[in-house]
Amino acid sequence: MIKYGKPILKVGSRRNGRSSAQKSARRIQKGVIHVQASFNNTIVTVTDVRGQVISWSSAGTYGFKGTRRGTPFAAQTAARNAIRAVVDQGMQRTEVMIKGPSLGRDTSLRAIRRSGILLSFIRDVTPMPHNGCRPPKKRCV
Amino acid sequence: MAFSLTSLSKSLSSLLPSQHSLPNLPQNPPNFAPPVSLSDPKSTSIRLSSCLTTPAEETNAITCPSLAYANTLFFKSGHYNVQVVVADNEAEDKLLGRFRRAVFKAGVIQECKRRMFFESSQEKKKRKVREASKRNRRRRPKPKDSAQSKEETSKKDDDEEDGDNWELPEGDLPY
Repeated sequence: MIKYGKPILKVGSRRNGRSSAQKSARRIQKGVIHVQASFNNTIVTVTDVRGQVISWSSAGTYGFKGTRRGTPFAAQTAARNAIRAVVDQGMQRTEVMIKGPSLGRDTSLRAIRRSGILLSFIRDVTPMPHNGCRPPKKRCV
Repeated sequence: MAFSLTSLSKSLSSLLPSQHSLPNLPQNPPNFAPPVSLSDPKSTSIRLSSCLTTPAEETNAITCPSLAYANTLFFKSGHYNVQVVVADNEAEDKLLGRFRRAVFKAGVIQECKRRMFFESSQEKKKRKVREASKRNRRRRPKPKDSAQSKEETSKKDDDEEDGDNWELPEGDLPY
C-alpha cells in the first residue's frame, strides 16, 4: 500500500550521480510544512509536495532542553527557523500539516503565518486509530 | 430521468444547509475522490486544487452529503481530520481562530487525550455519563426545575389536607 498515493521512484544512488549537486541547486516553490507537536517537543519538517524532506528543525536543535522543549515559545522558534532556511531556497506556497495535541500547534502556526510565506491549506493530520492498539496504562502520579 | 435528477438535486441542496447547522459535524472538504488511480496524478491534483479553492472565505469547507459523518477523509495527499482553506489576505488571528474552532468541532484534541492512556470499562462508563450529563444540561437548563417545584408544593398542600382524618366525614349517616 502506497502511503501518499504517489509513486516515489526508487533510483539507485549510483545511477543518479548528481543527487548532491541537485539538492543544493533545487528551487522548490511549493512545499508542505509538517509540524509534529507532541507534549515534549515540536518538530517542524519542510518537504516538497511528494513528501521528500528538504529541511527540518525542532525545539531541541535551538538550545531548548528538557521541559522547555515542549513550550509554545520553543515551537515558535523552531517554526520560524525552519521557514527561514527554506524561504531562501525560494519557497512560496506551502501547506501546513499539523500533528499531535500540544500547545505548540497554535504558536507554530502563528509563526508560520507571520514569516510571510503563503499558505494554501492548513490540515490536521493527527493519527486516529479506529480502536487499534492498546495504549499504555494510566500513570499514577 | 430529468425529473428525478432535479428532485435529487433539490433534496441535496436542502440537505446541505441542515448539515451546516449540526454541531457534531466535522468540517470536511468537498469531493471524495474514490481510490486513486496512480496513472494520472497530475490531473486529479489539479481537479483537487480547483475544487478546493472555490469555497468563499467565510465557509471552511463544503460538506459532502455522502460523507456526512466521516471524521477522516482520504485524499490524494493522505488522511486528515480537519482542513481549513486559507485565503491570502486573511488576518492571522482570524485564521487561527477558524482553525481552532474547526479542530474543536472535530474533537481531535479531546480524542487524542483520551487515547493517550488506556481507560478501563468503568472509566469509560464514567466518562460517558459525564459527557451525557453535559449534553443534557446544555439542552434542558431551567424549565424542568420550575415545573417540578410547582408540582411539589401543590402536592404538599394536598397531603396536609387529606392526611388529617380527625374530623368526621361530611354528609348524613346512611341510616
